[in-house]
Amino acid sequence: MAVLTVRDLCKTFNVGTPRASRVLDNISFEVKGQTFVSIVGPSGCGKSTLLNIISGVEEHTSGHISLESDTGGAARMGYVFQDPRLLPWRSVMKNMMYVQDDHDDDTVERARRYLDMVGLTKNADFFPGQLSGGMQQRVGIARAFAVEPDLLLMDEPFSHLDAITARGLRAQLQDIWSQSKKTVVFVTHDVVEAVELSDRIIVLQPGGRIYEDITIDLPRPRRQSDPTVATLQAEVLARLEKMKAIGNLAEPVA
Amino acid sequence: MSTMTENRRRSTTEIEESTSAWRKRLTSDGAARVAALLSFFVLWLVVSAVFGRVPGPVEVVVRLVEEFARGEVFGNFASTLYRFGVGVALATVVGIAVGVMMGLSQLSRAFFESPVLVGLSIPAIIWSFLTVMWFGFGNLSPIVTTFLTAVPFVIINVAQGVRGVSRDLRDMSSTYNVPLGRRVKDLVLPAVTGYVATGVRFAMIIGWNGVLLSEWFGGSGGVGYRSRFWYDANRYGGFAAWTVLFVGFIVLLDRFVLDRMIRRAFRWRDNAA
Repeated sequence: MAVLTVRDLCKTFNVGTPRASRVLDNISFEVKGQTFVSIVGPSGCGKSTLLNIISGVEEHTSGHISLESDTGGAARMGYVFQDPRLLPWRSVMKNMMYVQDDHDDDTVERARRYLDMVGLTKNADFFPGQLSGGMQQRVGIARAFAVEPDLLLMDEPFSHLDAITARGLRAQLQDIWSQSKKTVVFVTHDVVEAVELSDRIIVLQPGGRIYEDITIDLPRPRRQSDPTVATLQAEVLARLEKMKAIGNLAEPVA
Repeated sequence: MSTMTENRRRSTTEIEESTSAWRKRLTSDGAARVAALLSFFVLWLVVSAVFGRVPGPVEVVVRLVEEFARGEVFGNFASTLYRFGVGVALATVVGIAVGVMMGLSQLSRAFFESPVLVGLSIPAIIWSFLTVMWFGFGNLSPIVTTFLTAVPFVIINVAQGVRGVSRDLRDMSSTYNVPLGRRVKDLVLPAVTGYVATGVRFAMIIGWNGVLLSEWFGGSGGVGYRSRFWYDANRYGGFAAWTVLFVGFIVLLDRFVLDRMIRRAFRWRDNAA
Protein backbone atom coordinates (compact mmCIF):
# COMPACT_ATOMS: atom_id res chain seq x y z
CA MET A 1 0.00 0.00 0.00
CA ALA A 2 1.31 3.45 -0.91
CA VAL A 3 0.94 6.57 1.23
CA LEU A 4 1.50 9.96 -0.36
CA THR A 5 1.86 12.78 2.15
CA VAL A 6 1.89 16.43 1.07
CA ARG A 7 2.19 18.97 3.88
CA ASP A 8 2.38 22.79 3.73
CA LEU A 9 3.69 22.55 0.17
CA CYS A 10 4.55 25.86 -1.52
CA LYS A 11 5.93 26.57 -4.94
CA THR A 12 7.10 29.96 -6.12
CA PHE A 13 8.58 30.50 -9.58
CA ASN A 14 11.39 33.06 -10.11
CA VAL A 15 12.12 33.32 -6.39
CA GLY A 16 13.98 36.52 -5.44
CA THR A 17 13.13 38.32 -8.67
CA PRO A 18 10.47 40.95 -9.43
CA ARG A 19 8.70 38.29 -11.53
CA ALA A 20 8.27 35.94 -8.54
CA SER A 21 4.87 34.22 -8.58
CA ARG A 22 3.47 31.73 -6.08
CA VAL A 23 1.55 28.95 -7.81
CA LEU A 24 1.02 26.60 -4.84
CA ASP A 25 0.23 27.94 -1.40
CA ASN A 26 0.30 25.69 1.69
CA ILE A 27 -1.12 22.57 0.07
CA SER A 28 -1.70 19.68 2.47
CA PHE A 29 -3.33 16.33 1.80
CA GLU A 30 -2.72 12.62 2.14
CA VAL A 31 -3.56 9.79 -0.24
CA LYS A 32 -3.61 6.25 1.12
CA GLY A 33 -3.94 2.87 -0.48
CA GLN A 34 -6.12 1.88 -3.40
CA THR A 35 -7.62 5.29 -3.96
CA PHE A 36 -8.32 7.25 -7.12
CA VAL A 37 -7.91 10.95 -6.35
CA SER A 38 -8.60 13.70 -8.85
CA ILE A 39 -7.25 17.22 -8.60
CA VAL A 40 -9.48 19.69 -10.40
CA GLY A 41 -9.46 23.44 -10.81
CA PRO A 42 -9.36 26.19 -13.39
CA SER A 43 -6.41 26.68 -15.74
CA GLY A 44 -3.33 28.11 -14.04
CA CYS A 45 -4.25 27.01 -10.51
CA GLY A 46 -1.13 24.82 -10.22
CA LYS A 47 -2.55 21.32 -10.89
CA SER A 48 0.19 20.20 -13.28
CA THR A 49 2.90 21.88 -11.19
CA LEU A 50 1.70 19.91 -8.17
CA LEU A 51 1.91 16.66 -10.16
CA ASN A 52 5.39 17.55 -11.46
CA ILE A 53 6.54 18.20 -7.89
CA ILE A 54 5.15 14.86 -6.72
CA SER A 55 6.94 13.11 -9.62
CA GLY A 56 10.24 14.88 -8.90
CA VAL A 57 10.45 16.68 -12.26
CA GLU A 58 9.93 20.00 -10.46
CA GLU A 59 11.43 21.17 -7.12
CA HIS A 60 9.18 22.61 -4.39
CA THR A 61 10.06 25.86 -2.63
CA SER A 62 9.02 24.78 0.87
CA GLY A 63 6.96 22.18 2.72
CA HIS A 64 7.09 18.41 2.94
CA ILE A 65 6.37 15.67 0.44
CA SER A 66 6.89 11.94 0.86
CA LEU A 67 5.84 8.66 -0.70
CA GLU A 68 5.98 5.50 1.35
CA SER A 69 5.50 1.99 0.13
CA ASP A 70 4.95 -1.18 2.15
CA THR A 71 6.51 -3.32 -0.59
CA GLY A 72 10.05 -2.51 0.63
CA GLY A 73 12.60 -0.47 -1.29
CA ALA A 74 12.02 2.82 -3.06
CA ALA A 75 8.44 3.61 -4.04
CA ARG A 76 7.83 3.27 -7.77
CA MET A 77 5.95 5.88 -9.79
CA GLY A 78 4.19 5.77 -13.12
CA TYR A 79 3.19 8.86 -15.07
CA VAL A 80 0.70 9.33 -17.88
CA PHE A 81 1.28 12.70 -19.50
CA GLN A 82 -1.03 14.97 -21.50
CA ASP A 83 0.75 13.79 -24.65
CA PRO A 84 1.97 10.18 -24.91
CA ARG A 85 5.73 10.97 -24.75
CA LEU A 86 6.82 7.82 -26.58
CA LEU A 87 10.23 7.38 -28.19
CA PRO A 88 9.33 7.76 -31.89
CA TRP A 89 12.28 5.59 -33.03
CA ARG A 90 11.41 2.61 -30.83
CA SER A 91 8.57 0.14 -31.34
CA VAL A 92 5.58 0.06 -29.00
CA MET A 93 7.01 -2.95 -27.12
CA LYS A 94 10.44 -1.32 -26.79
CA ASN A 95 8.76 1.81 -25.43
CA MET A 96 7.04 -0.38 -22.84
CA MET A 97 10.38 -1.96 -21.88
CA TYR A 98 12.29 1.36 -21.84
CA VAL A 99 10.85 2.30 -18.44
CA GLN A 100 11.06 -1.15 -16.82
CA ASP A 101 13.67 -1.75 -14.10
CA ASP A 102 14.56 -5.20 -15.40
CA HIS A 103 14.28 -6.81 -18.79
CA ASP A 104 13.55 -10.36 -17.66
CA ASP A 105 10.74 -12.69 -18.77
CA ASP A 106 8.38 -11.45 -16.05
CA THR A 107 8.56 -7.80 -17.11
CA VAL A 108 8.17 -8.73 -20.79
CA GLU A 109 5.12 -10.80 -19.88
CA ARG A 110 3.71 -7.95 -17.78
CA ALA A 111 4.25 -5.43 -20.59
CA ARG A 112 2.41 -7.77 -22.99
CA ARG A 113 -0.43 -8.20 -20.50
CA TYR A 114 -1.03 -4.45 -20.16
CA LEU A 115 -0.73 -3.95 -23.92
CA ASP A 116 -3.39 -6.62 -24.23
CA MET A 117 -5.58 -4.77 -21.71
CA VAL A 118 -5.54 -1.65 -23.87
CA GLY A 119 -6.13 -3.76 -27.01
CA LEU A 120 -2.78 -3.17 -28.69
CA THR A 121 -1.18 -6.63 -28.68
CA LYS A 122 -1.18 -6.69 -32.48
CA ASN A 123 0.58 -3.32 -32.61
CA ALA A 124 3.52 -4.27 -30.38
CA ASP A 125 6.03 -4.02 -33.24
CA PHE A 126 4.62 -0.78 -34.68
CA PHE A 127 6.44 2.55 -34.37
CA PRO A 128 4.42 5.23 -32.49
CA GLY A 129 4.13 7.25 -35.71
CA GLN A 130 2.11 4.40 -37.21
CA LEU A 131 -0.56 4.71 -34.49
CA SER A 132 -3.37 7.24 -34.03
CA GLY A 133 -3.25 9.77 -31.16
CA GLY A 134 -5.70 7.68 -29.11
CA MET A 135 -3.69 4.48 -29.63
CA GLN A 136 -0.48 6.26 -28.61
CA GLN A 137 -2.14 7.47 -25.42
CA ARG A 138 -3.25 3.88 -24.71
CA VAL A 139 0.40 2.84 -24.98
CA GLY A 140 1.23 5.62 -22.48
CA ILE A 141 -1.39 4.26 -20.08
CA ALA A 142 -0.23 0.64 -20.52
CA ARG A 143 3.39 1.71 -19.99
CA ALA A 144 2.51 3.46 -16.72
CA PHE A 145 0.57 0.48 -15.35
CA ALA A 146 3.21 -2.01 -16.53
CA VAL A 147 5.87 -0.67 -14.15
CA GLU A 148 3.51 -1.78 -11.33
CA PRO A 149 3.74 1.63 -9.66
CA ASP A 150 3.01 2.31 -6.01
CA LEU A 151 1.67 5.66 -7.19
CA LEU A 152 0.29 6.45 -10.63
CA LEU A 153 0.19 10.09 -11.72
CA MET A 154 -2.00 11.17 -14.63
CA ASP A 155 -1.93 14.69 -16.05
CA GLU A 156 -5.04 15.39 -18.15
CA PRO A 157 -4.32 12.28 -20.25
CA PHE A 158 -7.47 12.60 -22.38
CA SER A 159 -7.46 16.36 -22.95
CA HIS A 160 -5.91 16.13 -26.44
CA LEU A 161 -8.31 13.47 -27.68
CA ASP A 162 -11.71 13.71 -29.35
CA ALA A 163 -14.77 13.12 -27.14
CA ILE A 164 -15.54 9.59 -28.35
CA THR A 165 -11.94 8.34 -28.05
CA ALA A 166 -11.65 9.97 -24.61
CA ARG A 167 -14.86 8.29 -23.43
CA GLY A 168 -13.61 4.89 -24.61
CA LEU A 169 -10.27 5.39 -22.86
CA ARG A 170 -11.94 6.49 -19.62
CA ALA A 171 -13.95 3.26 -19.62
CA GLN A 172 -10.79 1.28 -20.35
CA LEU A 173 -8.94 3.11 -17.54
CA GLN A 174 -11.71 2.23 -15.07
CA ASP A 175 -11.47 -1.43 -16.07
CA ILE A 176 -7.68 -1.57 -15.70
CA TRP A 177 -7.76 0.35 -12.43
CA SER A 178 -10.44 -1.93 -10.95
CA GLN A 179 -8.15 -4.91 -11.72
CA SER A 180 -4.87 -3.35 -10.54
CA LYS A 181 -6.21 -1.05 -7.75
CA LYS A 182 -3.25 1.34 -7.83
CA THR A 183 -3.04 4.61 -5.93
CA VAL A 184 -3.82 7.23 -8.58
CA VAL A 185 -3.51 11.02 -8.55
CA PHE A 186 -5.34 12.29 -11.62
CA VAL A 187 -5.23 15.91 -12.76
CA THR A 188 -8.09 17.23 -14.88
CA HIS A 189 -10.05 20.41 -15.48
CA ASP A 190 -13.08 18.31 -16.43
CA VAL A 191 -15.34 17.85 -13.38
CA VAL A 192 -17.53 15.35 -15.24
CA GLU A 193 -14.47 13.17 -15.88
CA ALA A 194 -13.34 13.54 -12.25
CA VAL A 195 -16.69 12.38 -10.83
CA GLU A 196 -16.80 9.41 -13.20
CA LEU A 197 -13.35 8.18 -12.21
CA SER A 198 -12.58 9.25 -8.65
CA ASP A 199 -13.08 8.25 -5.04
CA ARG A 200 -12.12 11.73 -3.98
CA ILE A 201 -11.82 15.15 -5.65
CA ILE A 202 -9.46 17.85 -4.40
CA VAL A 203 -10.47 21.23 -5.79
CA LEU A 204 -7.71 23.80 -6.26
CA GLN A 205 -8.62 27.46 -6.52
CA PRO A 206 -6.71 30.19 -8.38
CA GLY A 207 -3.66 31.10 -6.29
CA GLY A 208 -2.88 27.44 -5.66
CA ARG A 209 -4.81 26.72 -2.46
CA ILE A 210 -7.13 23.82 -1.73
CA TYR A 211 -10.74 24.99 -1.89
CA GLU A 212 -12.53 21.76 -1.16
CA ASP A 213 -11.89 18.05 -0.64
CA ILE A 214 -14.92 16.04 -1.84
CA THR A 215 -15.53 12.32 -1.30
CA ILE A 216 -17.27 10.52 -4.18
CA ASP A 217 -19.09 7.55 -2.77
CA LEU A 218 -20.64 5.89 -5.82
CA PRO A 219 -20.55 2.25 -6.92
CA ARG A 220 -18.33 1.21 -9.85
CA PRO A 221 -18.24 0.86 -12.76
CA ARG A 222 -19.65 4.32 -13.38
CA ARG A 223 -21.04 5.63 -16.62
CA GLN A 224 -21.94 9.21 -17.43
CA SER A 225 -25.43 8.11 -18.40
CA ASP A 226 -26.09 6.83 -14.85
CA PRO A 227 -28.52 9.31 -13.15
CA THR A 228 -26.72 9.20 -9.78
CA VAL A 229 -23.40 10.02 -11.49
CA ALA A 230 -25.02 12.83 -13.48
CA THR A 231 -26.64 14.29 -10.33
CA LEU A 232 -23.36 14.30 -8.43
CA GLN A 233 -21.56 15.82 -11.42
CA ALA A 234 -24.10 18.66 -11.44
CA GLU A 235 -23.67 19.16 -7.70
CA VAL A 236 -19.86 19.34 -7.90
CA LEU A 237 -20.10 21.67 -10.90
CA ALA A 238 -22.39 23.96 -8.89
CA ARG A 239 -19.83 24.07 -6.07
CA LEU A 240 -17.11 25.05 -8.56
CA GLU A 241 -19.37 27.73 -10.03
CA LYS A 242 -19.75 29.11 -6.51
CA MET A 243 -15.96 29.10 -6.05
CA LYS A 244 -15.55 30.91 -9.35
CA ALA A 245 -18.16 33.50 -8.32
CA ILE A 246 -16.37 34.16 -5.04
CA GLY A 247 -13.03 34.27 -6.89
CA ASN A 248 -9.73 34.43 -5.08
CA LEU A 249 -11.38 35.62 -1.85
CA ALA A 250 -12.75 32.15 -1.16
CA GLU A 251 -11.72 30.76 2.20
CA PRO A 252 -9.95 27.45 1.80
CA VAL A 253 -11.75 24.55 3.42
CA ALA A 254 -8.73 22.31 3.88
CA MET B 1 -27.47 35.43 -68.67
CA SER B 2 -23.93 35.03 -67.38
CA THR B 3 -21.89 32.02 -68.42
CA MET B 4 -20.70 29.63 -65.70
CA THR B 5 -17.12 28.37 -66.01
CA GLU B 6 -16.03 25.24 -64.22
CA ASN B 7 -12.60 25.38 -62.56
CA ARG B 8 -12.14 21.86 -61.25
CA ARG B 9 -8.86 20.88 -59.59
CA ARG B 10 -7.38 17.55 -60.59
CA SER B 11 -6.66 14.84 -57.99
CA THR B 12 -3.12 13.48 -57.50
CA THR B 13 -4.24 10.19 -59.07
CA GLU B 14 -5.45 12.01 -62.19
CA ILE B 15 -2.20 14.00 -62.40
CA GLU B 16 -0.18 10.78 -61.93
CA GLU B 17 -2.13 8.95 -64.65
CA SER B 18 -1.93 11.80 -67.17
CA THR B 19 1.86 12.31 -66.80
CA SER B 20 3.85 10.40 -69.41
CA ALA B 21 6.58 7.94 -68.37
CA TRP B 22 9.41 9.88 -70.08
CA ARG B 23 8.34 13.09 -68.30
CA LYS B 24 8.36 11.30 -64.93
CA ARG B 25 11.86 9.99 -65.68
CA LEU B 26 13.12 13.42 -66.72
CA THR B 27 11.83 15.08 -63.55
CA SER B 28 13.10 12.38 -61.15
CA ASP B 29 15.89 12.73 -58.55
CA GLY B 30 18.01 10.25 -60.53
CA ALA B 31 17.76 12.42 -63.65
CA ALA B 32 18.87 15.47 -61.64
CA ARG B 33 21.92 13.55 -60.37
CA VAL B 34 22.84 12.37 -63.88
CA ALA B 35 22.39 15.94 -65.19
CA ALA B 36 24.75 17.26 -62.49
CA LEU B 37 27.41 14.65 -63.40
CA LEU B 38 27.06 15.38 -67.12
CA SER B 39 27.28 19.16 -66.52
CA PHE B 40 30.45 18.70 -64.51
CA PHE B 41 31.93 16.43 -67.18
CA VAL B 42 31.17 18.93 -69.98
CA LEU B 43 32.61 21.78 -67.90
CA TRP B 44 35.75 19.72 -67.30
CA LEU B 45 36.09 19.08 -71.08
CA VAL B 46 35.69 22.78 -71.88
CA VAL B 47 38.10 23.99 -69.16
CA SER B 48 40.74 21.42 -70.16
CA ALA B 49 40.37 22.41 -73.85
CA VAL B 50 40.82 26.11 -73.01
CA PHE B 51 43.58 25.83 -70.40
CA GLY B 52 46.51 23.64 -71.33
CA ARG B 53 47.58 23.09 -67.71
CA VAL B 54 44.26 21.46 -66.79
CA PRO B 55 44.37 17.75 -67.73
CA GLY B 56 41.25 16.50 -69.53
CA PRO B 57 39.29 13.33 -68.70
CA VAL B 58 41.06 11.24 -71.33
CA GLU B 59 44.54 12.13 -70.03
CA VAL B 60 43.46 11.43 -66.46
CA VAL B 61 42.13 7.98 -67.40
CA VAL B 62 45.34 7.19 -69.33
CA ARG B 63 47.51 8.17 -66.32
CA LEU B 64 45.30 6.15 -64.00
CA VAL B 65 45.65 3.07 -66.22
CA GLU B 66 49.43 3.59 -66.25
CA GLU B 67 49.46 3.77 -62.45
CA PHE B 68 47.48 0.52 -62.30
CA ALA B 69 49.95 -1.06 -64.75
CA ARG B 70 52.90 -0.01 -62.55
CA GLY B 71 51.19 -1.66 -59.57
CA GLU B 72 51.12 1.62 -57.64
CA VAL B 73 47.39 1.92 -57.08
CA PHE B 74 46.39 -0.85 -54.67
CA GLY B 75 49.26 -0.53 -52.19
CA ASN B 76 49.15 3.26 -51.95
CA PHE B 77 45.38 3.41 -51.93
CA ALA B 78 45.19 0.76 -49.19
CA SER B 79 47.74 2.69 -47.06
CA THR B 80 45.76 5.91 -47.31
CA LEU B 81 42.47 4.12 -46.75
CA TYR B 82 43.82 2.47 -43.60
CA ARG B 83 45.09 5.79 -42.19
CA PHE B 84 41.92 7.63 -43.19
CA GLY B 85 39.65 4.89 -41.82
CA VAL B 86 41.41 4.64 -38.43
CA GLY B 87 41.53 8.45 -38.07
CA VAL B 88 37.85 8.97 -38.95
CA ALA B 89 36.71 6.00 -36.80
CA LEU B 90 38.62 7.37 -33.79
CA ALA B 91 37.25 10.86 -34.42
CA THR B 92 33.69 9.45 -34.60
CA VAL B 93 33.96 7.41 -31.38
CA VAL B 94 35.72 10.15 -29.36
CA GLY B 95 33.55 12.86 -30.94
CA ILE B 96 30.30 11.10 -30.00
CA ALA B 97 31.51 10.44 -26.42
CA VAL B 98 32.68 14.02 -25.81
CA GLY B 99 29.69 15.48 -27.70
CA VAL B 100 27.21 13.51 -25.56
CA MET B 101 29.00 14.63 -22.37
CA MET B 102 28.96 18.27 -23.53
CA GLY B 103 25.30 18.02 -24.42
CA LEU B 104 24.25 16.43 -21.12
CA SER B 105 26.40 18.29 -18.61
CA GLN B 106 26.94 22.01 -18.16
CA LEU B 107 30.26 21.25 -16.42
CA SER B 108 31.53 19.19 -19.39
CA ARG B 109 30.45 21.93 -21.76
CA ALA B 110 32.43 24.52 -19.78
CA PHE B 111 35.46 22.20 -19.75
CA PHE B 112 35.50 21.18 -23.44
CA GLU B 113 34.16 24.32 -25.13
CA SER B 114 37.47 26.20 -25.45
CA PRO B 115 39.61 23.21 -26.58
CA VAL B 116 37.01 22.33 -29.24
CA LEU B 117 36.95 25.92 -30.52
CA VAL B 118 40.75 25.92 -30.72
CA GLY B 119 40.62 22.57 -32.56
CA LEU B 120 38.10 23.97 -35.05
CA SER B 121 40.26 26.98 -35.80
CA ILE B 122 43.48 25.02 -36.53
CA PRO B 123 43.66 24.10 -40.25
CA ALA B 124 44.62 20.61 -41.43
CA ILE B 125 47.89 21.88 -42.91
CA ILE B 126 49.12 23.04 -39.48
CA TRP B 127 48.25 19.68 -37.91
CA SER B 128 50.04 17.87 -40.75
CA PHE B 129 53.25 19.89 -40.16
CA LEU B 130 53.06 19.35 -36.40
CA THR B 131 52.37 15.61 -36.57
CA VAL B 132 55.22 15.03 -39.05
CA MET B 133 57.53 16.84 -36.63
CA TRP B 134 56.18 14.85 -33.67
CA PHE B 135 55.78 11.37 -35.17
CA GLY B 136 57.95 11.29 -38.30
CA PHE B 137 57.16 9.55 -41.59
CA GLY B 138 55.04 6.57 -40.48
CA ASN B 139 51.33 5.76 -40.24
CA LEU B 140 50.92 7.69 -37.01
CA SER B 141 51.26 11.20 -38.52
CA PRO B 142 48.41 10.92 -41.04
CA ILE B 143 46.20 9.03 -38.55
CA VAL B 144 46.65 11.67 -35.85
CA THR B 145 46.23 14.49 -38.39
CA THR B 146 42.98 12.96 -39.65
CA PHE B 147 41.76 12.48 -36.09
CA LEU B 148 42.66 16.00 -34.92
CA THR B 149 41.15 17.76 -37.93
CA ALA B 150 37.95 15.70 -37.88
CA VAL B 151 37.12 15.28 -34.17
CA PRO B 152 36.02 18.89 -33.37
CA PHE B 153 33.39 18.74 -36.14
CA VAL B 154 31.89 15.53 -34.74
CA ILE B 155 31.93 16.91 -31.18
CA ILE B 156 30.26 20.21 -32.06
CA ASN B 157 27.51 18.51 -34.10
CA VAL B 158 26.76 15.81 -31.53
CA ALA B 159 26.74 18.30 -28.61
CA GLN B 160 24.31 20.48 -30.53
CA GLY B 161 22.08 17.46 -31.19
CA VAL B 162 22.11 16.27 -27.57
CA ARG B 163 21.14 19.73 -26.32
CA GLY B 164 18.17 19.59 -28.66
CA VAL B 165 16.81 16.29 -27.30
CA SER B 166 13.15 16.71 -26.36
CA ARG B 167 12.71 18.06 -22.83
CA ASP B 168 9.44 16.13 -22.57
CA LEU B 169 11.18 12.80 -23.25
CA ARG B 170 13.97 13.64 -20.79
CA ASP B 171 11.37 14.45 -18.12
CA MET B 172 9.55 11.21 -18.89
CA SER B 173 12.83 9.29 -18.45
CA SER B 174 13.54 11.06 -15.13
CA THR B 175 10.04 10.30 -13.84
CA TYR B 176 10.52 6.60 -14.54
CA ASN B 177 14.12 6.61 -13.20
CA VAL B 178 15.47 5.17 -16.46
CA PRO B 179 19.19 4.35 -15.95
CA LEU B 180 21.69 6.71 -17.63
CA GLY B 181 23.14 4.02 -19.92
CA ARG B 182 19.69 3.17 -21.30
CA ARG B 183 18.83 6.86 -21.70
CA VAL B 184 21.97 7.40 -23.78
CA LYS B 185 21.34 4.26 -25.88
CA ASP B 186 17.58 4.57 -26.44
CA LEU B 187 16.92 8.31 -26.14
CA VAL B 188 20.02 10.42 -26.77
CA LEU B 189 21.82 8.50 -29.52
CA PRO B 190 18.77 7.89 -31.75
CA ALA B 191 17.75 11.54 -31.28
CA VAL B 192 21.15 12.76 -32.47
CA THR B 193 21.55 10.33 -35.39
CA GLY B 194 21.14 13.14 -37.92
CA TYR B 195 23.72 15.26 -36.12
CA VAL B 196 26.14 12.31 -35.88
CA ALA B 197 25.72 11.68 -39.62
CA THR B 198 26.44 15.34 -40.38
CA GLY B 199 29.45 15.23 -38.05
CA VAL B 200 30.80 12.04 -39.68
CA ARG B 201 30.28 13.54 -43.15
CA PHE B 202 32.30 16.60 -42.10
CA ALA B 203 34.86 14.32 -40.47
CA MET B 204 35.27 12.38 -43.72
CA ILE B 205 35.70 15.50 -45.85
CA ILE B 206 38.01 17.27 -43.40
CA GLY B 207 39.82 14.03 -42.53
CA TRP B 208 40.50 13.43 -46.21
CA ASN B 209 42.24 16.83 -46.30
CA GLY B 210 44.23 15.88 -43.24
CA VAL B 211 45.45 12.50 -44.45
CA LEU B 212 46.35 13.84 -47.91
CA LEU B 213 48.32 16.79 -46.53
CA SER B 214 50.11 14.64 -44.02
CA GLU B 215 51.17 12.16 -46.72
CA TRP B 216 52.07 15.04 -49.04
CA PHE B 217 54.51 16.54 -46.53
CA GLY B 218 55.71 13.53 -44.62
CA GLY B 219 54.58 10.31 -46.27
CA SER B 220 56.60 7.53 -47.79
CA GLY B 221 53.54 6.11 -49.53
CA GLY B 222 49.84 6.73 -50.03
CA VAL B 223 47.60 8.86 -52.23
CA GLY B 224 49.09 12.15 -50.94
CA TYR B 225 52.63 10.88 -51.51
CA ARG B 226 51.88 9.76 -55.11
CA SER B 227 50.00 13.01 -55.84
CA ARG B 228 53.06 14.99 -54.74
CA PHE B 229 55.31 12.73 -56.79
CA TRP B 230 53.42 13.68 -59.97
CA TYR B 231 53.13 17.31 -58.90
CA ASP B 232 56.91 17.54 -58.40
CA ALA B 233 57.38 15.87 -61.80
CA ASN B 234 55.21 18.60 -63.33
CA ARG B 235 52.78 15.91 -64.60
CA TYR B 236 49.34 17.23 -63.72
CA GLY B 237 47.56 14.29 -65.32
CA GLY B 238 49.04 11.87 -62.77
CA PHE B 239 48.22 14.28 -59.95
CA ALA B 240 44.61 14.62 -61.12
CA ALA B 241 44.28 10.83 -61.60
CA TRP B 242 44.90 10.23 -57.88
CA THR B 243 42.56 13.05 -56.86
CA VAL B 244 39.76 11.66 -59.05
CA LEU B 245 40.33 8.18 -57.63
CA PHE B 246 40.03 9.23 -54.00
CA VAL B 247 37.20 11.73 -54.52
CA GLY B 248 35.28 9.05 -56.40
CA PHE B 249 35.84 6.66 -53.53
CA ILE B 250 34.57 9.20 -50.95
CA VAL B 251 31.45 9.89 -53.03
CA LEU B 252 30.70 6.15 -53.34
CA LEU B 253 31.35 5.65 -49.61
CA ASP B 254 28.94 8.46 -48.76
CA ARG B 255 26.24 7.29 -51.16
CA PHE B 256 26.33 3.55 -50.59
CA VAL B 257 27.43 3.24 -46.96
CA LEU B 258 26.69 6.41 -44.97
CA ASP B 259 23.49 7.26 -46.83
CA ARG B 260 22.11 3.73 -46.36
CA MET B 261 23.03 3.72 -42.67
CA ILE B 262 21.18 7.02 -42.21
CA ARG B 263 18.12 5.71 -44.05
CA ARG B 264 18.10 2.63 -41.84
CA ALA B 265 18.42 4.76 -38.69
CA PHE B 266 15.48 6.92 -39.81
CA ARG B 267 13.17 4.13 -40.99
CA TRP B 268 10.85 4.89 -38.05
CA ARG B 269 10.21 8.32 -39.65
CA ASP B 270 9.47 6.88 -43.07
CA ASN B 271 6.92 4.51 -41.50
CA ALA B 272 4.91 7.31 -39.85
CA ALA B 273 1.15 7.12 -40.41
